[in-house]
Amino acid sequence: MKVEFMIYIYGAVCASMIVFNIIYNLLLKGSESRMQNRCQKMRSKINAQISRLAAGKNVEEAHLQELRRKLSHINHLMAFHQVLQEDMEKKPDLYREYRHQMRPVVIYMAAVYRDKENMQAGYFAYFLSCYTADKQMAMDSLQDILLDYVQKSNLYCRFNALQALYHFGTPETIAKALRIADDGSVFLHEKLITEGLLSYTGDYHALIEELWKNIMRYSPHTQLAILNYIRFRSGEYQREMYEIMMDKKADKELCLAAIRYCGKYPYEPAYGPLLAFVEDKDDTKWEFATVAASSLASYEGAAVIDALKEALHSSNWYVRYAAAQSLEHLHVNYGDVVDITAGSDRYAREMLMYRLESRKLQSLEV
Amino acid sequence: MMDAFKEFFDIVGVFFVLYMIGYASFLFLAVTVGTSELYKLKRRNQLKNELLGEYYVPVTIVVPAYNEEVTIEANIRSLLALDYKLYEIVVVDDGSSDDTSKVVRDAFHMQQISRPIQRKIPCQAEEVIYESYEWKVPITLIRKKNGGKADALNMGINAAKYPYFICMDADSVLQYDSLEKIVRPVLEDSSVVAVGGVVRPCNGTEIHDGHVVSYRMPDQIVPCMQVLEYDRSFLAARILFDRFNGSIIISGAFGLFHKNTVVEAGGYDPGTIGEDMELVVKLHVYCRENGIPYRIRYATDAVCWTQAPEKLGDLCKQRRRWHIGLFQSMMRHRRIFLNPKYGLVGLISYLYFLVYELLSPYIEVFGILTIVLAFAVDLINVPFMILFFGIYVVYSAILSLTAFFARIYTVDLKLSFSDVLKAIGLCVVEVSCLRLVLAWVRATALIGYRRRKHAWGRIERKKIRFK
Repeated sequence: MKVEFMIYIYGAVCASMIVFNIIYNLLLKGSESRMQNRCQKMRSKINAQISRLAAGKNVEEAHLQELRRKLSHINHLMAFHQVLQEDMEKKPDLYREYRHQMRPVVIYMAAVYRDKENMQAGYFAYFLSCYTADKQMAMDSLQDILLDYVQKSNLYCRFNALQALYHFGTPETIAKALRIADDGSVFLHEKLITEGLLSYTGDYHALIEELWKNIMRYSPHTQLAILNYIRFRSGEYQREMYEIMMDKKADKELCLAAIRYCGKYPYEPAYGPLLAFVEDKDDTKWEFATVAASSLASYEGAAVIDALKEALHSSNWYVRYAAAQSLEHLHVNYGDVVDITAGSDRYAREMLMYRLESRKLQSLEV
Repeated sequence: MMDAFKEFFDIVGVFFVLYMIGYASFLFLAVTVGTSELYKLKRRNQLKNELLGEYYVPVTIVVPAYNEEVTIEANIRSLLALDYKLYEIVVVDDGSSDDTSKVVRDAFHMQQISRPIQRKIPCQAEEVIYESYEWKVPITLIRKKNGGKADALNMGINAAKYPYFICMDADSVLQYDSLEKIVRPVLEDSSVVAVGGVVRPCNGTEIHDGHVVSYRMPDQIVPCMQVLEYDRSFLAARILFDRFNGSIIISGAFGLFHKNTVVEAGGYDPGTIGEDMELVVKLHVYCRENGIPYRIRYATDAVCWTQAPEKLGDLCKQRRRWHIGLFQSMMRHRRIFLNPKYGLVGLISYLYFLVYELLSPYIEVFGILTIVLAFAVDLINVPFMILFFGIYVVYSAILSLTAFFARIYTVDLKLSFSDVLKAIGLCVVEVSCLRLVLAWVRATALIGYRRRKHAWGRIERKKIRFK
């Protein structure tokens, strides 16, 4: 009897799942047309305001009131967003003015969505990153509210809020937001931080300065992302990077990032230490030797060639590979490395020959 | 004598009731969780709760190939059409006896090169290496001595230049956004060491530049039933296991791995033909034994299209191989079974695969033999038996359809009315007939399996409709 009962229960639940599927499918089909309707209505309302702006008038207060009410619902916000995305390019100046006059609504909405569930808050932050895509839209109070979004323990909400700040935030707010996001409650991959910072469209000198000022307040993970960002953006931090490179107490990854920086932006004082890293035979330090060997591709001189040739005999595959690659970058000829190509060290010979052949192949095909 | 039979049938009856309740509960839970997860994901994407932007984790795509001259070119072209920037393609020809290497060489203008390959994982020696930089991303072709699929994959890992690698089959094509989707879990969680993608049969589907331009159920019955079966297993069980980091299988057709972790764990085991499952179990064991925080994830939106066998004979061959692979993997790592050190992986995942995957064909065949015996001694209630079988078929069919439709709706595929009818009709055939046939195939799979240890699975290949 109990078994039969269970079978009936399962059967009923399965049947309800099928019903759910069917209803969901119908709703899904209906949702597209509902969204189109919403967009259409929204478009006509916005167009009316755009016409007013074209006639030199202001956006009606009643319209702003209506937006406050309607856009508190996520589906209307999505429709509004869609209309702006589709129509903005048609009359950019009028839409810019429209968005400008809408700022009080946006600030009101930011407070409303801050208290909604994370998914909706995440969407609002995404909307902001698209909607306020230019610096003129930056509003101090909005930036402050966005910091609350960054505080939420949800990756996407944090990510979208940071994206919004990269679009219109001040360097101070971005630096502060990264400190908040660095609280350890949500993992933010360093690639996301670096790429995000790279999307910042304002004065990156000021941003780097602000980040550097606070560098010690970040975790090594975020510090690494910032160092990588600086490497991509500015060559003005050679001395600072050199100091990190030489700091014995520095985190290994930070030190390696600093060595990479010194490879991208050659710095005279770094020349000797880089050679020393490559010449270091300590097997436990192979990562330093590898990255330094790569960095030496930007330096010239017989000592560099000698050090790289010597590194080709390293017992570590990666060191040999990096050394061969750098020699190739330095355009050594077969004649310059005949002692290796005709030498008895098969590993060194094979690696170098591969890189030289590879260069030939790439020059033929590119 | 009759009493003994009765007692025997009573015990068997109780066993089967418990067995079926266990299975039904699991399947129900899995489909419910899987379906709700899919709908949640769809909503999440609608609300842009995703990592939008160009965040490229460097990935090496390893394509092991053995006698794949028919499909290999389409496969590589599909890889070149991927919507991703930072990746390389490494094709490993495992000593094919056909023109696999020649097809690749000619189609992609490969040049021979003397490239040293670091043997981080032991594998058979390479015979010749070709490279080409003429395309969107570098392509490498390594022809090596035959050593089996696992050995070819190990060679690919050794040759990989990037920190993550993807293993895939040469008879499959990746959807245009599959790389972007499969690396997302890595960006979301630094402890992710492996990510499984969704594998779907491409029979009947037309794919253009990695985009599905027309989707319909295959014309043939066998692949059609596999569509339903794949959805049930991929969208249901794997999503559930993913919830507690308990996935112990990532399909060899499409999976992403952290290279160093795989190397440290010892790479693919050439001694097993179920190398995909063996590697994932090995990663669990390795990470847990060494106290490494790790996650093995499942990306429900990273899609790989594969050719499902169209002939029943090919399907049986494939399932026989899978069952042997399952047996080998489970035997090799039997120490994790119910071992608290391995957490829910040993407690739930291993137990499920042991009872409902490895032993299920034997149990099902035993059940049928018992029915025959009961019938012979006139101790069976035929109407009840038919009713019970009917409930089983309807129940399983409903769950299959739930998974199938959930998948269709959440990925915005359009299905014709005739395909809907086909799915409804064939899911009944699948659970009532094909399942029993495959139970028999799997039950007899282990007979003489040692002879086929390193062999590649062969099914008839057709050109993929990839433009």
